[in-house]
Formats: sequence, structure tokens, C-alpha cells
Amino acid sequence: MIHPTQIQDMLQAALETGGDFAEVFVEDRTNGQLGMTGGVVDTALSGRDFGIGIRIMKEHFSVYAYTSDLSEQSLIRLAKSAAKAIRGGGAPGTHTITLHPHAIPNHHPIAIIPDGSQKRAKIDMMRRAHEAASQYDPSITQTSIGISNSIQNVLIANSNGLLVEDTRTYTRMRISAIATDGEHRQSGFRGPGAYAGTEFLENLNIEENARHAARIATTMVKAGYAPSGRLPVVIENGFGGVLFHEACGHGLESTAVAHGTSVFANKIGQQVASPLVTAIDDGTIQNAWGSLNIDDEGAPTQRNVLIENGILKGYLIDRMGSRQMGVPATGSGRRQSYKFAPASRMNNTFIANGDSTREEIIANTEYGIYAKSLGGGSVNTSTSEFNFAVEEAYMIRNGKIAEPVKGATLIGKGIETLQNIDMVGNNLDHGQGMCGSVSGSLPVNCGQPTIRVSEMTVGGRKGE
Amino acid sequence: MNIQQFQEALFTKGREIGYADMEIYYVNGRSTSVKVLKGEIDQYTIVENGGLSFRGVINGKMGYASTEKLEPDVIDFLLEEARSNADILESEEQDELFAGSESYPEQPTYASALADTAPEILIEAALEMERTALAADPRIVMARHCSVSIRENEVLIVNTKGLHCHRRKSLASAYVYVIAADHDETVTGGWHDYSLRSVEEIDIADVAHKAVKEAVSKLGAHTIQSDNYPVIFRHDAAAQLLAAYTSVFSAESVDKGFSRLAGKLGQRVASERITLIDDPLMENVPAGSTFDAEGSATHRNEIIKDGELRTYFHNRKTARKAGVKSTSNASKGSYNGRIGVSYHNLYVEPGTSTLEDMIRKTDRGLMIVELQGLHAGTNTASGNFSLACLGYWIEQGQVIRAVNQITVSGNFFDVLQQVEEVGNDLRFTGSCTSPSLKLAALSISGS
Repeated sequence: MIHPTQIQDMLQAALETGGDFAEVFVEDRTNGQLGMTGGVVDTALSGRDFGIGIRIMKEHFSVYAYTSDLSEQSLIRLAKSAAKAIRGGGAPGTHTITLHPHAIPNHHPIAIIPDGSQKRAKIDMMRRAHEAASQYDPSITQTSIGISNSIQNVLIANSNGLLVEDTRTYTRMRISAIATDGEHRQSGFRGPGAYAGTEFLENLNIEENARHAARIATTMVKAGYAPSGRLPVVIENGFGGVLFHEACGHGLESTAVAHGTSVFANKIGQQVASPLVTAIDDGTIQNAWGSLNIDDEGAPTQRNVLIENGILKGYLIDRMGSRQMGVPATGSGRRQSYKFAPASRMNNTFIANGDSTREEIIANTEYGIYAKSLGGGSVNTSTSEFNFAVEEAYMIRNGKIAEPVKGATLIGKGIETLQNIDMVGNNLDHGQGMCGSVSGSLPVNCGQPTIRVSEMTVGGRKGE
Repeated sequence: MNIQQFQEALFTKGREIGYADMEIYYVNGRSTSVKVLKGEIDQYTIVENGGLSFRGVINGKMGYASTEKLEPDVIDFLLEEARSNADILESEEQDELFAGSESYPEQPTYASALADTAPEILIEAALEMERTALAADPRIVMARHCSVSIRENEVLIVNTKGLHCHRRKSLASAYVYVIAADHDETVTGGWHDYSLRSVEEIDIADVAHKAVKEAVSKLGAHTIQSDNYPVIFRHDAAAQLLAAYTSVFSAESVDKGFSRLAGKLGQRVASERITLIDDPLMENVPAGSTFDAEGSATHRNEIIKDGELRTYFHNRKTARKAGVKSTSNASKGSYNGRIGVSYHNLYVEPGTSTLEDMIRKTDRGLMIVELQGLHAGTNTASGNFSLACLGYWIEQGQVIRAVNQITVSGNFFDVLQQVEEVGNDLRFTGSCTSPSLKLAALSISGS
């Protein structure tokens, strides 16, 4: 993308004012997006994102600069203007940087590289989704289907001599269905995706996903409101893992931990969750949506055990977090694009399997909420107050799944909720989401087996 | 290549391969941002960034493609991708390029002095803001985020029908987000302000004091009993709620069956106290604009007048389909999107009550100051929301204590109808704002 000697010159210029580390991130990304509303193709976009970000560190201070102008003068100017922001003197630049290019092993085979020639085939797939969703039930009045893909080529180099390149390929299908019942409308969504090429779509059960979205909309449009107050909650496997993502995952990122502002700071070795909980962030799962060969600082991703049998074992740490905390980085430095400095982020986070079956968990619940399909959420890591939306929920009465209910947002505080997990299933699965935080919006998996939380605040409407 | 050279080369090549009409939409920006922590500069960010969206008519259909790289080797990519994208589009309603409005209003939105602010001024302002916040109250343990930034950007739209629209804007802003702790309790609070003229015009100390007040007043919070209560959405929370539902006013959403406001033009959709205005021509607001993403000259629109739905947001395509005039609300989410529909500077017209009056007249109720998880807890199709929130418990006209670990549930369309009182405390802090709004009852989940 850029000649190594040019990068060497940039890194050298970056360290001329006393910085002790410099890093360059070059990105050349091709995006394709197709959209269909009500069976009619109404969106077809192609884009090329292209730019470079340079980061200079001096102790715990960092400067970040980026541009999409990759001419030689612009690059040196960018490095020099970033270097000007380094303060406090220090030994100015006698650095001689020699880059050592090395090939990184690819753990995520791509069978069919997405390209423009596949547009018609993808439209056929979208039409199948549209038809399956609209034929599911007469109450389905509208559908919105999308397929997006991107190929992100990155080059990462730093003043330690690192020079690596990688290609990340993403494919995702989004299916929304809207059901109408008189004045009431409700939508259902499925968004399967992978770090993979077009083969992911060819192997996907499109009709099943479309019917799933339609089922959510159809069921919820006729549902009454969830009760409010503190109730036992059974959260279904797969994307239900968004509970852990919000309640705990963000609070384990060094961005939150390094300054002691997370409730999980300084708690390594302590019991922060029920002994039934073992939680892992694994960036190495083959072709998973949140996986990477190397993170956006050029370090190989890892399988990081965060909580083992309820005991806090580790954090998610990027290069700056490693400096601030004096511990090794965990391959967790990620960014949406060259427009963001990297930060510690999750890849594929999940709660590991326990011993119970889903049936046992439901049968053991006298009265509560069964949260079957989850939406997104958010958290304030300083207070650990989190929330997430339930897209499809049912009451549990006398150990059986009963009537559907809508509007069941779940809220809680991190450690308290993790301590209240009192049953963990044996059916681990993963769902795909986009996680927004300081370094942008990133693909992540959230996963878990079916679990039960003995008590959570359910934000329905006035109680029964 | 500079933008003029790129545009000329692109249009020349495009004509050669059969494009009838072509347009570029180009954005370019510069910004400098300083973030401080514990008396030191923590992060310093410098940005120079642009992007270009191309659209063109080939074989009678419009295709789109975009790029951040403005070099000769990208021209073929743009033209080829736009052609194959045009080929597969099935919408009957075609986009068409616009030759331009007869005249465009003037709006002072660019201050060269602001754009040239020395970095030292940003650094000193950020450090002062942090010092002020930390000194304001002993319970403030840290300024988690404390930054001052300046940015400028330009938008250029040029097409082969003769359209040539260009604007430049500049903005300085300050933001501080603090953590307060007392015994075992931790709370957070933030505030921000901006200026279109200079960094010095921002009252840094005021921003710091307001953030501190936001945080410490949340100490001592606990939940409340689940029930229906009278609710005041403070101006910022009211704006958050409105912003989550603005797509229901889009003619595109209405046309595609996503909005419950379909067929409601001329009808009462809100309390008669509600007037909703989109005014891009207001001066000294951050979201002003003299032309939209299609190059139409903008003007003030009343979306809701005294509770009655007057119009949807239209671009030229939705307006043509509906047989009305465009409201000049063509939008592009970013340079690389397709042309959609959105507002410029949307706000609820302020009433006469002060927030203090609204509190004083509340016997037992809740004031909500922050809504959380809006991206997930709101459903624009149904209007339903169920959202975690923070606020204050009010008894006999007095704020008694802070409240946390609750959710508020309701329906946006019902909220519009049920507004009892509109505050006078409108602040233009973003592109969608509202004064405080009071409702008779909403469902609150707590203990």
C-alpha cells in the first residue's frame, strides 16, 4: 500500500521530538452494501475507504493523527505535526528504525472473496429472505433486507521494527420484518455475520433466519406488556451473551481499568461472579465475526480467560493499557478504521458451558421472564449500570413458557448481576453484533449457553 | 490530485463511457482535539480527512459509489461500481440530479480565527476546565474525559446540470465528564458547550461547574417502587427521546410503511402545546445549513403546528412521489451514503414555564435527566420504548433525592399527545433539541 521506506521515514520523523514509540496504521478497504425494502432493491452502494493513522507515545501520553491524503509530502507533514504535540523534551530523534516485514499465519480461510460480480446472486438471496419472511404470517406488512461485505487490507508498522499486513473479510446479512395489527406495529431482526466471504451466505439457512425475524415481529405485535419490577430472568443462548458483554466485558477493558474507574479494577483473584460463571474473550475462533489474525496494533489475537469459576482472572489490555498497568497486552487493541486510535476492546466474548439443560432451567423457574431474542445494550463502566433490550420475551409460569410479552428492557449493575447467575446451561452458541465505543464500531460476537439470573429489574409496564 | 482536478477527470471519463449526468458530493474536514487527564495532556488528535460520493445516470438509471482516495486509479472503480449498482436497482422512483435553486440564503458559519486557534489555547482551556472541575467539590475524584476541540469542514456539490454549492463551517467545543464518589457510591456527570466564533467564547468554568453539579447531585441515588408517575423529561432527556424517533417524520419511512404517521397529515398527532420546527437558517446554531444534500436551498419548516402534523421531511424524490414540494431535507448520513431524508436543526418550540415551575407544580413524580440504551430500547415502528434512566424524585414541589436503577416505558406517539407542559429552557446544543416536557403519567419500573 505504501512503500516500507516511506513508513520508516514517517516513523523516524514521528520520534524526532522525544516520543518513545511510534506506530503507523494504513487501511485500504472496499465496502459493498445492498438493500431491499418490500422486495424491491433500493440500495446499492460501493465504497473505498483509504487512509493512514499515526500514533506517537511518550510514556502515558499519546498523539493520534490521521489523513486520507497519502501523498509523500502529506505523510511527512502528518508525522511532523503529530510529533510537535509531544511535549516535555526528552532525547530527540537519533532513532534509526529498521522495519522487519513478516508474514502472519492466516487462521481464517476465505473460500469466495466478495466482489462486484456477485451482486445479482446476492439479490436472489435477499429475495429469498423477503419471501420467507413475508409468507410467514399475514401480519407481516413490510421487510427490509440487507447484505453487506467488506474487505479491509491493513498494514501496521511500528518503531520496534514490526511490519505486518493482513486482510479481513466480512460478510453479513440483515433481515428485518415488520408485523402490523391495527395501530400496533412491531419489528423483528436477525443479523447473522462472519469473518468470511460469500460462502457464508451460500451456507446460511436464509429462510430459517427470515422466519425467525418474522416470528419475533408476529409474536410481539400481539403481545401484552411485560410486568415491571425485580424478577427471575432466563436468558436464551447465543446473542443473550450481550448480558456479559455489557454487565462485565466493557468493565474489563484497560480503557476503564487502567485509571481505576471500573468496578472491576484491582479485583484480580477475587470472586466477582457466581462460581457457575467462566467467561472468555477469544479472538481466535475460526471465521467468527469478532475474530482477527492480528489486532489493530499488530499483535496476534489470543484466547483470554476473564473469569474462571467466578474468580476474576484477567483484563483486556491494549498497548497503552499495558504501559499504564505494567502488564502484558492481550491482543485486544482494536479500532473501526484509521480514523480511530486503537483501544482495548472485545472480540468474541462468551460464558462457557455449564451443566444444566435449557429444559431444566425453565422447569426450575416458578415465575419469571424468558428472554428469547436479545437486542443491544449499553453500560456506564464507572458505575457499572447497564441495560439491554429484549426483542422477544415470554412469561414463565409454573416452570413452563407462557404468553409472549413486549417491552422487557433489563437493567442491573455488573457484579451484582453476575453474582445472581444461578443456573448455566450446556448449549453455548454465539450471536453477532456491532459494539460501539471509544475506538469506533466493531464486529463482536456475544455468546453464552442459556442462563438464569435469580433477580433482575425488568422494565416493563405497571405490574400484574 | 486536488478536488477540482479529480472532478474534471471523473466527469470526462464518465462522459466517454456513457454517463448522461453526473454529480460529486465532497466533504473535507480538519480538526484538532486535546484531551487532558490529571493535569497532563493525555491525548492529542489531529485530523485531515475527506471523502467523495459519486452518482451518475447511465442507461436511464442512477448509480452510486464513493471513495476516500482521490487519485486517478480510483476513477475506474467509481464509474464501474456506480454502473453495476445502477443496473441492479429496482425502485420505480428514480433519483434525478438538480440544476440548483434560484438563490441561496447567506449564513455566517465560518470563522477563520477559530480554525487557526493555536494548540496552546486548546491545551490551556482543557487544563483549566479539569482544574476547575476537580476543585469545585471534594467528592469529584476524576475528570474521566476532559477535552477541548476545534473543527472545520466543507461540503461541495457539483454536477453536470450546473449545480455548484459550497459551504464551510467551523466549531469549537468543550466537553467534560466527571466521576464523583462518596463512601461506596460512584456516579458520573457531564456537560458540554460550543461556539461558532472562538474557543475563548466558551465559558470553560461554567462547563466544569455544570458537569460537577450533574454528577454530585446524583449521589445518594436508589431505586423507587414500580408504578405510574408524573414525569418531567428535562430538556436534554426530552431531546434524546425525540432524536430517537425523528425517522417517523421522514417521508421515506412513511412511504415504505415504517412510520405510524402515514396518512396523518392535517391530523392532531400531538398535544396542542407541541410545535415542532426544523430551521436550518437560524444563526449561531451548530446545525445550520443553507442547502441540503441535493443542493436545494433550505428554509424553515413547521412539521407539527399546535399539535397538527403539517408535513413530513421531503427530499426531491419523496416530494415528487407525494406530489408536493421538497422541504429541502435531502440528507447524506456521511459522504458515502445514498441520498436520504433527515432534519437539519430540529426543535420543539419552547413554552413559558421554567423547569423550576414545572418541579414546583409536581406533587409526587419523577424528573428524568438521562436516558440510556436508546439504540436498543426504542422501536420506531411501534413507538414503544423501555429505557434505563436516571433522574430525581420530586415530592411536594421539591427535588428530594436522586433515582437510579429504574426504567421508563411508554410510547413516543402517546408521549406527544400527553405533553401537559412545555418548558422555556430550549438550548441549541446539537441538531435535535427540546425544552423540558411534562407528562401526566408514565410507567416506571424499579423495585
